[in-house]
Amino acid sequence: MQSTSDYNRKRFRMGIWFITPALLILLTVLAYPIIASFVLSFQRIRFAGNGLSHQFIGLNNYAELISNQLFRESLFRSVYFTVMEVIAVSVLALLVALMLNTPLGRHAFFRVVLLVPWALAPVANAVLWKWIFNTNYGVLNAILIGLNIIDKPIVWLGSPWLALNMILIADVWKAIPFIALLLLAGLQSIPPHLYKAARLDGANTWQQFVHVTLPGLKTTIVISIVLQSIWALKVFDLIYVLTHGSPADSTVLLNYLSWRETFSNLDIGYGAAIANVLFVIMFILALLYIRALRPRQVKEKRSGTK
Amino acid sequence: MALNRRYLNRFFIRFGLVTFTLLALGPVLWGVVTSLFPLSSLTSRPPDLNPVNLTIENYILVFDTSRGLFSGLINSFIIAFFTSAVALAVGSAAAYALARLNMPGSNLILMMILATQMFPGIVIAIPLFLVMSRLDLVDTHFGLIMVYLSFILPIVIWILKGFFESVPMELERAAAVDGATPLQTFQFVVLPISLPPLFATGVFAFIESWNEFFFAIILTRINVKTAPIAIAEFSGQYTTLYGQMLASAVLASIPVVILAIIFRRFILEGFVEGAIKA
Repeated sequence: MQSTSDYNRKRFRMGIWFITPALLILLTVLAYPIIASFVLSFQRIRFAGNGLSHQFIGLNNYAELISNQLFRESLFRSVYFTVMEVIAVSVLALLVALMLNTPLGRHAFFRVVLLVPWALAPVANAVLWKWIFNTNYGVLNAILIGLNIIDKPIVWLGSPWLALNMILIADVWKAIPFIALLLLAGLQSIPPHLYKAARLDGANTWQQFVHVTLPGLKTTIVISIVLQSIWALKVFDLIYVLTHGSPADSTVLLNYLSWRETFSNLDIGYGAAIANVLFVIMFILALLYIRALRPRQVKEKRSGTK
Repeated sequence: MALNRRYLNRFFIRFGLVTFTLLALGPVLWGVVTSLFPLSSLTSRPPDLNPVNLTIENYILVFDTSRGLFSGLINSFIIAFFTSAVALAVGSAAAYALARLNMPGSNLILMMILATQMFPGIVIAIPLFLVMSRLDLVDTHFGLIMVYLSFILPIVIWILKGFFESVPMELERAAAVDGATPLQTFQFVVLPISLPPLFATGVFAFIESWNEFFFAIILTRINVKTAPIAIAEFSGQYTTLYGQMLASAVLASIPVVILAIIFRRFILEGFVEGAIKA
């Protein structure tokens, strides 16, 4: 039999050993680059001979950002894209989740159906929609012409706003499954007796939805909105495959712009500055996510059950 | 009247479920069909989907070594496998320390880990690219695996922490009373009963690394091009070869879609519910 304090000391020492490798990896590949990214954004970086020349230029990269029209447009488009994606996905995913929570929809088949778009590689998703949106051979034009909705093929990815919205559709399609699964998990955690009580009080289906379902889903909805905003701000694969930012840079969003400035135009400091703007936006969203998680934790602890 | 309403409701739900299934699977099925027919039968109006036209020609053509898909699949496998293996080994230890070993500041560490999910990849990609070019790590398996750990490891720790917390405390106390050291408790009591969730988390990590595109496009050149890069190249360079483009997408998606379906219970319980539980 060992003494408690001895045992606890052993546990503590083991904890240090157990957590150190993970912390070392995360410091190298996360903490260091995040700090370095801010340092880089205060520099002008040029290719000189074999290496890079760094020159400190203070806030010049950020000043350039604010005065740059493409940056302002990209920021606006990113916000538009994110808001639209969040609204479309939340509504549609809630609809899907409600349907899958009915006796008919509980069949495992529908869960499998949901997992297919989720597991699909984002790039596979992108080439799939590139083919569907194809002007001459695409199935979208074929269907619309077949139904006599349009009489000649539409160049879906050829005009500015249309192209952006088509990318949005492809992104929404891919994002719905995960959010629907989140909401479904949330729906299933609402105690059935609440519905029973509401029915006894004479609430109809709609009233039950408004007064029982929505309040019960509040945390889940907040979390899914934050997660989606983050994903929508990061969209890259779809733009890369579908349009490369064309036509006339009208589908360039922040993440894509940062990548292009850094790795195509080799303006590394400027690219890092854009990345940091994105970082700050997402960090605020991350804080919201953590806040949304917290109160629930407290509530659960207080009630003493799961 | 109540009966009518019920009938109507059921009709709407059925209609909704059918629409949902069509919209979710339709695009995917159309992609599969495209990869299995010659372009001429797809572009005729209406499409001529007579089974006699079925062909695997596209699949044979995409495996031509010059197209990079075959080596891409192998690279993706190597990278996804090692990323998941390292993430599991390192992550399970860290998760256990955070869940059960009373680490000081463990809440702070957890919140930081959670926050990493929100970082845009580009923020870490730029500095890492510069460092890795200097160390000759660009276009190596090792380099990409390290970078993938930056987003896989935090998720793995987060999911596993949840599982370890659900292991009954009594089991661990009993082991301690019997004289087991904390390490023995972890090794012989906690780990064995956590094998299924560990494996499922590994599958999840595998899928995420297999599908990754953004870091791969920045940190690979020729040698370690992954499958997603090869697919993107099909859509860029060979713009008219739609059948092959889709065939490569199907080939790269089959393994992960099958994994997701087989392990759907774990993915739903572990990851999806993990995201909404603190």
